[in-house]
Amino acid sequence: MDFIDPYYLQQLAIGLSLGMTYALMAIGFTLIFGVLNVVNFAHGEIYTLGAFAGLVLITAAAPPIFAAIFAALAIGAFAGFSLERLAFKPFRRFTDEASLKSRAMRESTLLSSLAVSIIVREGLEIVFGSQMRSVPFEYLINTPVRVGPVILVTGDFIIFAVSAVMLIGLQYLLRRTRVGLSIRAVSNNPLGAKYVGIDTDRTIIMTFVVGSMMGAAAGILVGLYYGAIFPAMGFVPGIKAFVAMVMGGLSSIPGAVISALILGVAESMATTFVSSGWSDMVAYGFLILTLIFFPSGLFGAGRERV
Amino acid sequence: MNESRSPTRLIVPVLVLLMVFAALPAVLASFDRGYFYQIANLSLIFVLLAASLHLVTGVAGLLHLGHAAFYGVGAYTAALLATKAGLGFTFTLPLSGLVAALIAFLVALPTMRLVSIYFAVATLAIGQMLYLVMLNWVDFTKGPNGIIVTKGLNLFGFDLSGRLGTYYTVAAVVTLCVIAIGRLSHSYYGNALRSIREDDQCADAMGVRTVRLKMEVFTLSAFFAGVAGSLWAHMTGYISPGDFKFSESILILAMIVVGGLGSLPGAIIGALLLILLPEGLRGMGDFRNVMVGVVMFLSILFLPRGLLGEVSALKLVRQQLNAAWRRTDNGIGIGWR
Amino acid sequence: MTTHLLDIDQATRRFGGVLAVDSVSSHVDEGELVGLIGPNGAGKTTLFNLISGFTPLSAGTVRFRGRTINGMRPNQVARLGLGRTFQNLRVFPNMSVFDNVSVGAVGTLPQGPFGALFARDGRAKDISDRTWHALELAGLTGVADELAANLSYGRRKYLEIARALAMQPKFLILDEPAAGLNDTETRDLAAFIRRLHAGGLTIMLVEHDMNLVMGICQRVIVLASGRKIADAPPDEVRRMPAVLEAYLGTDEGEMGA
Repeated sequence: MDFIDPYYLQQLAIGLSLGMTYALMAIGFTLIFGVLNVVNFAHGEIYTLGAFAGLVLITAAAPPIFAAIFAALAIGAFAGFSLERLAFKPFRRFTDEASLKSRAMRESTLLSSLAVSIIVREGLEIVFGSQMRSVPFEYLINTPVRVGPVILVTGDFIIFAVSAVMLIGLQYLLRRTRVGLSIRAVSNNPLGAKYVGIDTDRTIIMTFVVGSMMGAAAGILVGLYYGAIFPAMGFVPGIKAFVAMVMGGLSSIPGAVISALILGVAESMATTFVSSGWSDMVAYGFLILTLIFFPSGLFGAGRERV
Repeated sequence: MNESRSPTRLIVPVLVLLMVFAALPAVLASFDRGYFYQIANLSLIFVLLAASLHLVTGVAGLLHLGHAAFYGVGAYTAALLATKAGLGFTFTLPLSGLVAALIAFLVALPTMRLVSIYFAVATLAIGQMLYLVMLNWVDFTKGPNGIIVTKGLNLFGFDLSGRLGTYYTVAAVVTLCVIAIGRLSHSYYGNALRSIREDDQCADAMGVRTVRLKMEVFTLSAFFAGVAGSLWAHMTGYISPGDFKFSESILILAMIVVGGLGSLPGAIIGALLLILLPEGLRGMGDFRNVMVGVVMFLSILFLPRGLLGEVSALKLVRQQLNAAWRRTDNGIGIGWR
Repeated sequence: MTTHLLDIDQATRRFGGVLAVDSVSSHVDEGELVGLIGPNGAGKTTLFNLISGFTPLSAGTVRFRGRTINGMRPNQVARLGLGRTFQNLRVFPNMSVFDNVSVGAVGTLPQGPFGALFARDGRAKDISDRTWHALELAGLTGVADELAANLSYGRRKYLEIARALAMQPKFLILDEPAAGLNDTETRDLAAFIRRLHAGGLTIMLVEHDMNLVMGICQRVIVLASGRKIADAPPDEVRRMPAVLEAYLGTDEGEMGA
C-alpha cells in the first residue's frame, strides 16, 4: 500500500545519510567543546583533509575502498594531533581553571583555529587547485539499490554502517576504556581531573584525535557519495555540525547526533521546495532559532557552560 | 590601554594623513599606472572596514564574523539604486549606510542578548544568510552574475568619476568616517563600550545600558560598512556576491587582530598591511590568502595585543600626552568641591 | 512614617531545590551604616545580588527609594542610585584607573554616540568632574593613568569603590571590601568607609572580619542558611546565642576571604 510517495522516502533516506555525516562531524565538535569549552574552527578542514587523503590514495594506488577510509582516518588522527599542538596548546599557558576556560583563551583559540583553517584551505587550493576533483568511477558509492518502492544507493548503506561502527566504537571508548574515562572526567571538571592524576594534556590530545578521525571519515564518505572533492568543501558542513552541536545542547553527544539527523532530513526535504542553493539556509535558520528560542538546546540539556 | 578624549590629539595624525593622501596622486602620476590608484582606493576602503569592525569588536568586544555581509548590503543597495532607480552617489552613499544599519539593527534585536561566542556564531550565520540571498535571489540581485554600476562618483552634480576625482572622494569619505569612529572610540561613550568588553555584567552594575549600547555599536559599525560598500560599488563599477563572502569577513577580522584589538591606528595599519603586503608580493600569486592566515596566526601567538599593543614606547608617549591633557582640562586642579 | 531607602520584604531566592535566601525582611534607612554578616553560604552575596538586580527574586519584593525593583536589570537599579562592589574584585583590567572610574560616571550620566561625536553639551565635563572627585576621595589621583591590572590588590579595592562612587549613589553596598587585606589596610579601609558615611552616604557592607563590622556599623543583620536571625546594633548581636551558634561557637572569627 503506497500511501507515502516513494520520492519522499528517498529524500528521507538521503537526508538520513547526510545527517549521519553531519553527526560524525558534530561528535568531533562536541567532544572538543566538552573537554576544552572551545569551538574548533578548523574542524571543517579536517573533513576536507580526510576526503583528500582518500582521494590521493585512490589515484595513487587504487586500493580497495576501505583502505581509502582508513587513509582518511589516519590523516584525520594526525591532523587532529597537529591541530591541537599548534592552535590550542600554546594558548593554555596557565594551569588554573579560570584561565582554562577563560573568555580570552576561548576567543584566541577561536581566532587561532580560524587562522589555521585558512592556511589549510588555501594551502590545499594551492596544491590541488580550487576546482572539484572527481572521484574515479569505480569508487563512487552511489550504485542504486532497490529497497521496496524506494531507490537508495550503496552509499547510504555504507555511510550508515561506517557511522554505526564509529558510534559504537566511540561509546565503547568512552564507557569502557581508561582514555574514555579520562575524557569524561576532564569534560566534567578539568581541575579536579588534574588533581586525581589524570594527564589533562594527553586527554585533550586524545579527544582531538578521536574527534578528528570521525570528522575525516565524514569527509571521505561524503566525497565518495557525491563524487566531488574540493578544498572548500569542509566549511559549510563544519558550520552545520556546529549547528547540530548547539541544537543538541552543546555537551550531549546523543543530542548532537539526533540534531544532525534532523538537520540532514530537513535539508533534504527543503530541496523539494526550493533550489539547492537555498538549502544551506535551513541550517542557518535552525541555528538562529535554536540560539534564540532554545537556550538549553532542543533537548534541554543545558547550555550554561560558557 | 590609555585612550585620550581630546579632539586635539587626533588633529595631528589626521593632518599628516591628509597630506599623505594629497601627495599620493602626485607620486602615482609619475608611475602613470591606474593600477596603483586602484590599490590605493582598495586600501582606503578596507581601512574603513577595519575601522568599523574595530568599533564593534575591538572596542566593545563583540566578536563579529559577518562584517563583510553588511559591506555587501551597502554595495548592493548602492548598485541597485544606481541601476534601477537611477540615483547618483550623493544619495546612494547615505542610503547604503542606512540600509546596512537597518538590517544590522533588525538582526541585532533578537541576538544581542547572546553570550559572546554564541553571538559570534550568530553573526557568522547572519553573514552567510545574507550572502546566500545575494547569491540566490537572482531576480533581485542578479545572483552570481553581479551588477554593473555605470554611474561613477558624482557628488551634488560634480562629476568626480575620473581617476583623481574618485581617489579624492574615497579618501575624503574614508577620512571623515575614520575621524568619526575615532571620536566615538576616544570618548566616555567609548569607555562605556570598553567596559562592556572588559566585563559586561559589571558594566551593567555601573549603570551602563549594555544591551542598548551593544545594539548601537553594532548598528553604527554596519552603517560605516554600508558606506564602504557604496564607495566600492561606484569605484569599481562591478559587484558580485563573491566580494562579500565569509573569507572577506575573516580578512577584515585579521586586520584588526594584527593591528591590535582595541587600537584604531592599529586597525588602520593592519588594513594597509594586509592589503599592500600581498600586492607587494604579487609574484607569490595564490599565496596571498595563505599569508593572511599565517600572519593572523603568528600575530595571535606572538603579539596577542597586536602590533600597536606591543610597542611600549608608543604606549608611554600616549600616557604622557593623556596625563598632560587631563591636568590642563581640569583647570583649577584637583581640590575642588 | 518615612519610606525606607531600601525595603526588603520577604525576599526569597530559590536555586532548584535550594533556598539561598529564605523570606528575608529588613530595611535600611538613609544615613545608616549597616553590616551584613553570616557564616559561609548564608546567602549574603545572593542577597546583594537580589538587591542590585543581578539575580531575579523567586518571591518577595525589594523596594529601593520607593520603587519596586523586582525584575529590573542591574543597570536600572544602578541608575536609581545603587552602587556596588564585588566580592571577587572586578575591575576593568585593560583600562586605566581614570577610565575605570569614568565608567561609573558615564553609566549614570550617559553619553550617547551623538554626544560623543558632537560634544555640544557639557556632559563630558560633568563626567570628568565626577570621575576626578571619586578618584580624589579614594586617594587614587596619583595613579590615574596606570593600567588597572598593574595596581596592587589593595589599590584595586579602592578603585572598585571609587568606580561605584563615581555613580554618585544614594546607597553603596560593599561586598567583602576587606577580604585579603592585612590589619593596617583594614584599619585604613574602615576609616575610609567611616569618612564616606560621614559625608552622608548610606552604606551596607558584607564582611567576614568581625572587628571591622562591629567596629563601624550602627546595625548588623545576621544571616544563616538563608534566613535572617538577627537585626540589631553590634553589641546586642554579638551576645545573641543564635548568632554564636550559627558561627559554631565562635563569636569572632576570621573566616577568611
